[in-house]
Amino acid sequence: MSALKGYRVLELADGVGGEYCGKLLADFGAEVIKIERPGRGSATRDLAPFAPGVAGPERSGLFAYLNTGKRSVTLDLDSAASGATLAPLLDRVDAVIDDHPAGWLAAIGLDPAQLDTRHPALVLCTVTPFGQSAPPERRHAEDLNVMHASGWAYHTPSGSPPDAPPLKGAGRFMASYEAALDAALCIVAALYERETSGRGRFIDISKQEVLASRVDYVLGQMVAGDMDVSTSRTSFDLFGPAGIFACRDGYAYIWMSAPTHWDALRKLLGDPAWMNDFPERWLERACTPERVAQCREHIAAWLKTQDKEEVAAQAQQLGLTLVPVNDVRDLHASAQFAFRGYFTEVEHPQLRRARYPTVPYRLAATPARIDAAAPLLGAHTDAVLASLQETAR
Amino acid sequence: MNLASRGGPLQGVRVLELTKVWAGPYAGKLLGFLGAEVIRVESEGSLDVTRSFGVADINKAPGFRAVNPQKLSVQIDMKTGEGIALILDLLKHCDVLIENLRPGAVKRLGLGYDAVKAVKPDIVYVSMGMYGSEGPLSYQTGYAPCFAALGGVSALVGRDGEPPAGMNVRYADSTFGTAAAYAAAVALLHRRRSGEGQFIDVSAVECMTSMIGDAVMQHALDGSVPGSDANRHADMAPHGAYPCRDGEWISIAVSSDAAWQQLAAAMQQADLSTRFPTLAERKANEAELDRMLAAWTAGHDAAALAEQLQQCGVAAAKSASSVDLVSDPHLWARGFFREVNDGEGGSRPIVGPPWAMTRGAEIRDGAPRLGEHNAYVFGEILGLSEDAQRELVERSIAR
Repeated sequence: MSALKGYRVLELADGVGGEYCGKLLADFGAEVIKIERPGRGSATRDLAPFAPGVAGPERSGLFAYLNTGKRSVTLDLDSAASGATLAPLLDRVDAVIDDHPAGWLAAIGLDPAQLDTRHPALVLCTVTPFGQSAPPERRHAEDLNVMHASGWAYHTPSGSPPDAPPLKGAGRFMASYEAALDAALCIVAALYERETSGRGRFIDISKQEVLASRVDYVLGQMVAGDMDVSTSRTSFDLFGPAGIFACRDGYAYIWMSAPTHWDALRKLLGDPAWMNDFPERWLERACTPERVAQCREHIAAWLKTQDKEEVAAQAQQLGLTLVPVNDVRDLHASAQFAFRGYFTEVEHPQLRRARYPTVPYRLAATPARIDAAAPLLGAHTDAVLASLQETAR
Repeated sequence: MNLASRGGPLQGVRVLELTKVWAGPYAGKLLGFLGAEVIRVESEGSLDVTRSFGVADINKAPGFRAVNPQKLSVQIDMKTGEGIALILDLLKHCDVLIENLRPGAVKRLGLGYDAVKAVKPDIVYVSMGMYGSEGPLSYQTGYAPCFAALGGVSALVGRDGEPPAGMNVRYADSTFGTAAAYAAAVALLHRRRSGEGQFIDVSAVECMTSMIGDAVMQHALDGSVPGSDANRHADMAPHGAYPCRDGEWISIAVSSDAAWQQLAAAMQQADLSTRFPTLAERKANEAELDRMLAAWTAGHDAAALAEQLQQCGVAAAKSASSVDLVSDPHLWARGFFREVNDGEGGSRPIVGPPWAMTRGAEIRDGAPRLGEHNAYVFGEILGLSEDAQRELVERSIAR
């Protein structure tokens, strides 16, 4: 059983934010019809990673990942003639996802401001860097700029000195993936209400706000005047000896904030003499920069002699929060991921067989599933247009 | 008392939270922002640390107030059998349960999925754990930065040629909460159409991996293992953070050849656009171009320069400090920052929802005082008489 079976979603998006949102819905059985430009297709078809030895619009592993289970229809939405196709499509779908710049939807004849009168039952969701009402000086933004505008980059990594560049985060698309989660949440909530009211709604997701919201624990205190705001690079930080350390075979992350962690470390290290130089409960009561530096030095010297997986397993048994810093190879080899079936094999006509990452939630009655590989460009154009004509008759 | 009529897509949905700290509460907060009535079960004996962290007054804890606006609080002692029975009674009137207690804790309390399902067969039960509720490593625990390290995020964050540095320490809990909220909404929709509830098991580590899905795909396709790449991007160059006046930074992403021509013109170095007209040429000379850009940006005011570049079509934004965020007029204009009732006749700014929507839910109250809604929950939802409620207090079940 699929939770979203029977819902039809029109995906006008051609960026990662909109496409990932469509994927989150398709995974639960929604029929997602993706509109692509004739010729080159979605912009994500031109983005890395590329499968070795494959050329043309089907070479992108990014596109393959983001568009599993969707149907591809080629249609030039920027041409005046497309309206004749778009209009009946809009009548047949429950929801629309877009991530083009503000103003584009109105230009193709789907003005969000007129949604309620023209398409009262449609759920329309847009994912844009700063929302539909972005001021002109924020019109051009990639995910990099959004990460920086949200505050995450300025405060990443923790403990940054003022003269080191702020960092954008992991990979290229954090802002888009994060915003897609909120978009999918809002669309499904809107469909929930629509089941009884029959009414659609317009949802305007701002990537900047999604990211800033992700630090609400800090930002909420700041805006309420409970925590200092400043131009400091460390204003989001927690202080203490926690951090990433080199191991013999990679890196490990160790967290220490409570006496129980300190006690567990003492057991793990066999009660070394250096620990006796630290006062009782120092992590809570006497966590000076000098002690933090000294503690980190000892931890660094010790972890250099350890293997990350083994030392983490020992530490966890003792109640010390120490974990390996996994790279993508480790994830593919993870016993826990294998147990939960996080990866699934997908056969794609040009990229062949590969292990795709899936989603982080297991729904017992309606599990997410990848039913089909990403569509070849325009693979469903004829079928979808024919079904429209049939309906018209 | 009419607590349920705030509108919004999830109006009429009631959520019970057995949550601690940040990730679970964040999931509840999002559902509340969509119109659900969200009730936190709390008690003095097992108080959320964010209620007591660094403050004397548990009703005015800044961290707690930051992530729990618009929720209700009921006091029920989970360390007594009667308290657990009371929670099960309450769950008969709820649609969703969210828990992020330590691995196995809800089962030991007698509030595992089977126990709850027995009294409320169509419950949507959301269990949140670092590694999920089962599997060889599910016994392990950790805090947000552990999720990011385990899920592959930390390894991708760092400066060129240096060890991984990881995201800011605050990252991960709220992403985890959002994924849980989405899964809950999907299950609610399924329940509305089929009558069937279900168990949902969310893994924080996998939430992190889903934020780097393309890097995981890369390994699947060609076996490569991407590492940290500072501010770089495989498909754009230049793409980075550059120093400005007074310790400020500007982010610039050159997303097309045309944008590069505009940037070169703004730098008054038009020859750069003829020397490096294509992405391939700019990627090959990325370090040199980054140095030239940094030398040019150094004397500028970051916000003014971003505005200038925007005018000629180049994607640019100041790297925002906490001062920039809290004073961002756009965030206030959109209602991202907004005022709610503070419970004492005044108002208080909060971080609102990151979306705008038509017919959205009203958000009018701040975080609840401990037990603020005891009378509503015990009286109106459970229908207990005032005497019976008084007895709960006297016998320390509601404390």
